[in-house]
Formats: sequence, structure tokens, C-alpha cells
Amino acid sequence: MRTKTYVEKITPRIVHLREKVLSTKPSVCTERARFYTEIYREHEDQPVIIRRALALEKTLKEMTIFIDEGELIVGNHSSQHRAAPIFPEYAVDWLPEEMDDLDKRPGDAFYITEQHKKELLEIAQWWKGKVLWDRGRAMMSQELRDLQDAAIIKATGNLTSGDGHIAVDFPKILSAGLAGYLEEIGYYYSKVNRTSREGVKKDLFYNALAIAIRAFRTFILRYRDLAREMSAKEPDRGRKKELQVIAKNCGVIADGPPQNFYQALQLTWFVQLVLQIESNGHSVSLGRMDQYLYPFYHNDILTGKMTEESASELLENTWIKLLSISKIRPWSHTRFSAGGPLYQNVTIGGQTTDGKDAVNDLSYLILDTVGKMKLTQPNLSVRFHKNISNDFMMACMQVIEKGFGMPSFNNDEVVIPGLLKLGVEPQDAWDYSAIGCIEIAVPGKWGYRCTGMSFLNLMRVFNAALYNGLDRKSGKTFHKGTGHFRDFSSYDDLFRAWQHQIKYYTQKTVEIDTAVDTALEENAPDLLCSAFVDSCIARGKTIKEGGSKYDFISGLQVGIANLGNSLAAIKKLVFEDRVITKEQLLAALESDFEGEEGEKIRQLLLNYAPKYGNDDDYVDLLLRDAYMEFINELEQYHTTRYNRGPIGCKYYAGTSSISANVPSGAVVPATPDGRKANTPVAEGSSPSSGTDLQGPTSVFKSVAKLPTEKIMGGVLLNQKLSPATIRKDRDKQKLISIIRTFFEDLKGWHVQYNIVSREILIAAQKEPEKYRDLIVRVAGYSAFFTTLSPDTQDDIIARTEHTL
Amino acid sequence: MIFNIQRFSTHDGDGIRTLIFFKGCPLHCQWCSNPEGISYDHTILYDKRLCRDLGECMKTESRAIRRINGHGIRIERGQIAHPEILRDVCPSRALTVVGEEKSVEDLLQEIEKDRPFYRDNGGVTLSGGEPLSQTAFLVPFLRALKERKIPVNVETSLHVKWENIAAVVEGINTFLADLKHTDTKKFRAFTGGNARMVTDNLKKLVAGGARVIIRVPVIPGFNHTQKEMNHIIDYVDSLGIKEMHFLPYHTLGMEKYRMMNIPYPYEPYKPVRDEEVYPYAEYAQKKGLRTKTGG
Repeated sequence: MRTKTYVEKITPRIVHLREKVLSTKPSVCTERARFYTEIYREHEDQPVIIRRALALEKTLKEMTIFIDEGELIVGNHSSQHRAAPIFPEYAVDWLPEEMDDLDKRPGDAFYITEQHKKELLEIAQWWKGKVLWDRGRAMMSQELRDLQDAAIIKATGNLTSGDGHIAVDFPKILSAGLAGYLEEIGYYYSKVNRTSREGVKKDLFYNALAIAIRAFRTFILRYRDLAREMSAKEPDRGRKKELQVIAKNCGVIADGPPQNFYQALQLTWFVQLVLQIESNGHSVSLGRMDQYLYPFYHNDILTGKMTEESASELLENTWIKLLSISKIRPWSHTRFSAGGPLYQNVTIGGQTTDGKDAVNDLSYLILDTVGKMKLTQPNLSVRFHKNISNDFMMACMQVIEKGFGMPSFNNDEVVIPGLLKLGVEPQDAWDYSAIGCIEIAVPGKWGYRCTGMSFLNLMRVFNAALYNGLDRKSGKTFHKGTGHFRDFSSYDDLFRAWQHQIKYYTQKTVEIDTAVDTALEENAPDLLCSAFVDSCIARGKTIKEGGSKYDFISGLQVGIANLGNSLAAIKKLVFEDRVITKEQLLAALESDFEGEEGEKIRQLLLNYAPKYGNDDDYVDLLLRDAYMEFINELEQYHTTRYNRGPIGCKYYAGTSSISANVPSGAVVPATPDGRKANTPVAEGSSPSSGTDLQGPTSVFKSVAKLPTEKIMGGVLLNQKLSPATIRKDRDKQKLISIIRTFFEDLKGWHVQYNIVSREILIAAQKEPEKYRDLIVRVAGYSAFFTTLSPDTQDDIIARTEHTL
Repeated sequence: MIFNIQRFSTHDGDGIRTLIFFKGCPLHCQWCSNPEGISYDHTILYDKRLCRDLGECMKTESRAIRRINGHGIRIERGQIAHPEILRDVCPSRALTVVGEEKSVEDLLQEIEKDRPFYRDNGGVTLSGGEPLSQTAFLVPFLRALKERKIPVNVETSLHVKWENIAAVVEGINTFLADLKHTDTKKFRAFTGGNARMVTDNLKKLVAGGARVIIRVPVIPGFNHTQKEMNHIIDYVDSLGIKEMHFLPYHTLGMEKYRMMNIPYPYEPYKPVRDEEVYPYAEYAQKKGLRTKTGG
């Protein structure tokens, strides 16, 4: 139970900062690209790990820094607000190609000056043939490149940017301070045996780490000096004092551990910031913030050093800072993550490592401040468990009612047992946090990408199963099949064809991941990120080399519901009820349901076959079986870190496919679930749009029939609710009640709510300027609706809205 | 015969409930939001918006169904002796047949699906139509629910013979009983029924110790005045009933009239806003009644 009630008011300072970040048009910053290019060019003789350390050092020492009017938490990502730095070492080819259209994109537009274009063209010229993208593609066989070009497996995001999808060891950072890390690096450096290959690599690694940490220290000290300088000139006495405190804070945390909540939060932000200057992987997450900051919070409140109001303001300032980070992606990848999100997750609630309810006053304060800010960052997750209090759940409902999709819920009751089964040690399993949207990892101990390597387009695989291996879209047969659908005599034939194809494509996703991982390991090692993950320093290895304690990754499978519905439609209507012949079905699919006959077939497929999401075992179990074929195959493979240190080094399934359902659907011909060609497929593990007709309890039942304990990459379920449905306390109570059943009894994995009315969405589509602050939940995260492309908007509008 | 099972309902009694709609009703309330539940027989619904002009229905019923110029069909419902043969002929389900015979086992199977959601206060709610018209089915059904310890509410007009109520009273946890009006003339004019039958049953029910909550639909042009409502509340209070719900009139059922091709008798009236019924609730609260407004 919370001990205090918090004020709903936002201070004028925060209102101003919030408005500023919202009204700033995203642009492009060339500083980082310039520094990295200079260093890479000057030090071509150096191993890549040293080059990266030096480039990071130069950037942190020379990039433009500023302290904005009124801000209490300092540290900027690039030379201007919401300006996206460029990371040329990953990929540059897309830049000259897309540069002129950056500001004309239908979603996620970036403003760019002619001068910046010119500079970037020169930079791109130097990098040609030297970037991760080129190396990664070169490591793949022609077949793997063809599979990607055919858009059956997509891994663009992994070769055009860094890994991300990680939370570092904040508790250790806050207790050791940067000086502690330098000491630890020094200790292990002194013990390196340089007579082996490993020894040589370790030597370089520690040298690079020391350069990076010292550069980080310098970066913080630059803010100390700037704050001092500004305070000397500041006429306003209040602000002068604030700047002095900022200077003092930076002075303390540049070396040692933070002494109070304010300093701890400032250091947390600095770490979060530099990780995203070092690399541009998204989903860099903050872990269990209500746990590691609580001792500072508790002490400051208890001793009267800080009020809840001032803690609120600091947290709110931090959330605004999170939103100030901007990432520019090639258009091909942008479509897979609409809304320009960075998925910086904050996790609250859950249990302590000894199994008690971990909710504390700071959990409430984080929840409240995120609710007050109504921004897309951070991505707030609540860890549900069976002993979570009703009071805290009600507080969550009050934030959900605000209608920006947060918080989402992860379920300890299925995640923790799942982690234990994977071999995660108990004290770590109980300490997991969400990463990015819904996926999970043990913060500070887990490698990159607990989710999010490659996207596998399941319905393209399914189509190949119908056509003896032929991919109708590309005209290629990647893997010869077991026969053609017109010759199948039973559902079993169809299922065998699916087994045959999915085995092949599963292996191909692993091959692509392996090539990508190898390229990333060799070409783009992260230093600070490795330093802050257990046990990289002790092992003398980057995360990619096997430095982390645990290593599990997942791909993302897109089109889950369509797969189940297609299998059920064929089984029921073709083989059992015989109302559609095989020839009729094929003709309808090939013509995209053209003409009266095609439309009739489509309507039968839509209305006379069971659909996933209605608690109908017929389809739910077919889907489960088909998905298990993928999972069983996937579980045989290992990551590139296998036998190099970490526990696990295995793959598991994942469905947190962000907005990938739209572009993935755009390359899929008509499917037997009645879906027309090129329209979106279903998102995450949610039912297909408009097919879940029995209300949310049925959706919960269907989703829970998936092998959730094996889909540790996340079982994403989006439910949309109109605000009226939970306005009253008794309705909030009922929502809590069904969530409890979903999590406690059915062992659901995740759920999040999109509370917004259709009418508002349609209005916002017509008059975006009036709805600039309208936030919707797109799969795993929240996005500003008006920034989304029209087809993503349409898809959100089309999804069923349940009425409680 | 039932006409719908709503798997997830939060507005008809405590907790999460499964609603079972029984087909057929002795009353014909002009504002009825479930007109497809009034007839004891099958009812044909046709939603022109879903029609794809595929003509499958005409293959089954060539006489009574005709294509109309441009788009859609005309159905001569009176000429169709066995509507159920049209049940699964329309590919787009623009034409549907409402009303299905179900066994006790059928219903139990559906109910079991939602059971994990009932937790400590949910259960089954019988609705309609008038569920208490189908006592012969209800007796074994309620017995089975009782064996499974599933709490049952019933939404009823109480416009049935007392024997029908007496036969099931043991199996019902809560009666959500409508009291639409105390004025017998008005009651007859707007519902076609006899208010005395309702009040007599209500008295007996209360006397027998059943848990009764009165639900008053707040209908403009019928009972939506403070004076009339006070009468109803006074009467409820005089029976010693402790709880009353006020349900504002809504027009969510309007589209179904169009789908049945019958005029909507309450066309001119606007939905009643939640706030408009607060004064009634306040009056009832002053008399010591527990109240609830809205669905």
C-alpha cells in the first residue's frame, strides 16, 4: 500500500520542457559521424576495438553539449534537440539514396539541411564497402541474401544498426561508480597472460575499456564545467543554485558512486545516454528502476533531504530526456518499427529475489509520473505476480485509463518458471526485467537481443507449403516441397508440407542470425555496454564474444493468427465439410478472391471456419501444433557464443513483432484465412483484426493455449478498450479481475491496453494537427498516432474494439 | 431455444458473467433493445451492409427472397415456413437465423469455458427474451449449475405464471427483476402486459425470501419523470426490497429492427444520459435503498 498520495500537478518547468521536446521537429546531426569517420580514417592501422574506443572518446570529448533552460537532469544526445546522430560504421548506402526524401516520409520524417547532406555524402563516400552492412552481407551465402531480398526473412535492422535490446547492471554502476570500474579493469588487466591469442585480445579489450570509461568520465566533467560556467553568469538566484547543484552532482558521479537520489538518477541517465551514443541499437532499457533507485529515494525522503514533489520533478525531467533521443533508420526498417520508438523500457513491480511483493513508494511514483507525462518514453512495464496488491493494480488502471497504452503487464507466474527451466539461477530469475517492449532478460547479466534478431514471415512459409516449395511472390523455390496442395488428400498432407518448409526456414533464420552476429562481433564491438554487463570484464570479452553471464536470443515470428486460421479453414472447409474444393481455393488465392466466385470463397473462409481468438480448441490447437514445429526445430540451434562462456546460448520463439505486421503483410499474397493480398497480417500473438468476436475472455483463453512457456521472446497481446469501459472504479475492478485470471490461472504471458475510441482515431487521421499528442499502442510500445503512416493507422483502426 | 450466449459480460450482475439469452418474451416493450428475442420462433436477420449479392440465399428460398435493384435482397418473411434452413447458406453472414435449440450439456460446455474468470463473484446470468418462460428446460439446467456451484442470476420481467417462478426459485441466487411501471394502464399500453401479474409475483418472491434487485429501465415518454419514478421507488421500498438499479434508455438495438425489416417504435427518442437518472437514484438512496445507475 502506498503511504502517501502524490500531486497531479506538473510544474511549469516540466510543462515547458515537455512542450519543447514535443514541438521540436526531428532533424539530423552530423557530429558523431564526423568524429567516427576522422578516427577510423586516421587509425586504419589499429584493431577495430581500439578504433571504436578512440572514436567514442573523441565524440564524448568534442561533441556539442548544452544545458537547457530549466532542466535539472543534464546530458544531450546530439548537437540539437531531437537531432538523430548518424552511425556510419553500420550502414551508409541508404543515406545518399534516401537523403532527399527524409523530410517527405509518410511517417517518421526528419528535417535535414543542404549543408548536412553535403557532409554526409562525403562521409558516406569514405565508408563505402567498409561498413557492417557490407561485411554482414558478404558473410551470407547467395541463398541467404536471396531469402532476405525476397522479404521472407528480414534482418535489415540488425545490419544497419547496433544490437541494443539490453539493460546494463545499474545496481553495480550506482554502487561502484566509474572509479570502481577503472579499478576492476586495472585489476584484470594486470593478470592478462599475453602468450595466447585470448591474452592478446584481452589486452586490447581492457585498453579499449579504459579509454571508453575515462572518456565517459570526461564527458560528465564537461557538464560540471558547463554548469559552473553558466551558474557564474546566471542572474536568477534560484536557477544559479540549481546549476551549482548540477555541477556538484556531475563532479561526484564522474568518479565515485552517487550520494543521493538526484545524483543516482543523473548517473542513470548519463549511462543510458552514452550507451546510445556508442551504438544505435534500440530497446536499451533501464531495468528495475524502482528497485535499484529505492535505497537512495528512501534515505533522502526519510532524512528530509528531498520531498516527493522534487523527486517527481526529477523523474519527469528524466522521462523527457528519454524522449529527446532520436534514431534514424532506413525506410525499409522504419516500416517495421513505426513511430520512431526507442523502446527504452522501465520495469516496476514484480517480486524481490526472495519472492516478496517488490512494489514500493518509488514504484508508485514512477507509475504516477509516467502517467502524468503521457509520453512515448519510457516504455513502462509492470511485473505482475499473484500477490501484487489490488491497490497497486488500481493505480495501474488509473494510468491505463489515460489512454496512452501504459503500463503493459508481464507475468512473473509464467516468466520466472520459464527462466528457471532455461537454467537461469533463482536469484537472477526473480530479478528479470522487461527489455524494449515486452521481451525479458536479467538486467546486467544477459547478452543483446533477448528478442529481435530476424523477422520470419510465417505466411510466406505457409504459402510455400501449398505450392510444393514455390514462393509465389518471388517466383523462386528455395526448398523443394513434399507436393502440391491440389494433390493433397488430407489435412495431414498439408501439415507435413508445413513441417517440411518450416524446418528449412527456421534453419535459415539461424544462419542469417549467425552471419549477422559474426559480423557484429568482428566489426562493431561495444565497449561501455560490455563493461556494464556481468561478466565481460572478468572474462576479458565483449558481450558478442561471450562476455555475458546468460545468452538467449529470439527471432520474431510474424503472422501467428493467420497461420492458425489458414490451417483451420483448410481442414474444416476443404477436407471435412468439403464446401470448398482444392481447385476453388487455389483459384481464389491466385486471383486474390476476384469476381463473385472469389468473393464467395473468401466469405466462406472468413465466416465458416473457426478463428483464433474465440477460445475454440479446433483452431487454437492446430496453431499450437504448427508453431511447435518451428519451436522444436529452433531449440536445436546455438548462438555464436556457444561454449565461449555464457549459460544458455540458445534460441527461443518470440512474437513481439512491433509494427512488422503491416510491411510483412504487404509482401504476402492472399491467404486461406480470407485475408486479401498485401493487407496486414495479425500483430504479435493477437487475433486477426475483426475475428475475435467473443470478447476478451475468449481472447485470453486462446492466447494462453499457445506454448507460452516456450515463447520467452514474448507473447504479445494487444487489447483495445474504449475509455468509457473503465471509467468507473467497479469497471476497473472487473478489468483487474480478468487480468488476474489470465495471469494466475491461464498463465498468460503479457497484456497491454490501447484505450482509445475509433472515432478519435478517424478524426486524428483527418486532422492530425489537432491530435498531435494522441498516443496509441502499436504492438509493444506507444507511438504518436499522427506520426504513423496511413496504412499503420488504418490497421490500428481496424482492430476489434472490445466493450467491457 | 436460445438466441445468444455472451461470453463476457460485466454489466449484468456481480463479477464476470456469462449471459444466456433465451428466446421468446410475453411482453412487447416498444423500446426493446433485443427485438430478435421477442418471438418464440426462429427469426431472420438481414444486414445489408454485409451483403455481397452472392445469391446463395435465393438458391435455397427462391420464392420468398428476391434480389432488389442495385444491391441487396427483399425477404417475405411470412412466406418462409422453416427459416432454419437458411441458417448456414449466406457466405458473408449478412443473412442469419437467430434461435437455436441447445441441450443442457451444450450450454454447460460454453459456460465452463469462462469459468476461470468467475473468481469469487461471477457466474451465469439468464436473460432474454423471458428466460422464465422456459421452465421445463431451466429446471434440469439450474440443477446442473448448482451441482457445479456456479451462481446464477436471472433477468426477468416476472411476467409469467407464478408456477414458472416457483419451479426455479431454488436454483436462482439473485433475481434482477424489471419493474417498468406501477401504472397498469401505461404498462399495458407500452408493453402489452399486465402490471398486476408482475407485482403479484414480486410480492410472493419477496415474501419467500428470495434475493431481489429491482431494475427500472428509464424510458422517455413512459416513466422518465420524477413523479412516476418516485411512485415506483415508493412501491419497491414498501415491499422491503433493498437494492434498485436504474438503466437509462439506449438505442443500441436500433440496427436490429432494420435487420428484421420492422419499424422501430421508439424512433424519435434520444438515449437517456447517465446523469438524467441520478435524481431517481438520489430519491431511492434517501429511502435507504442501495442504487446503481447505468449498465
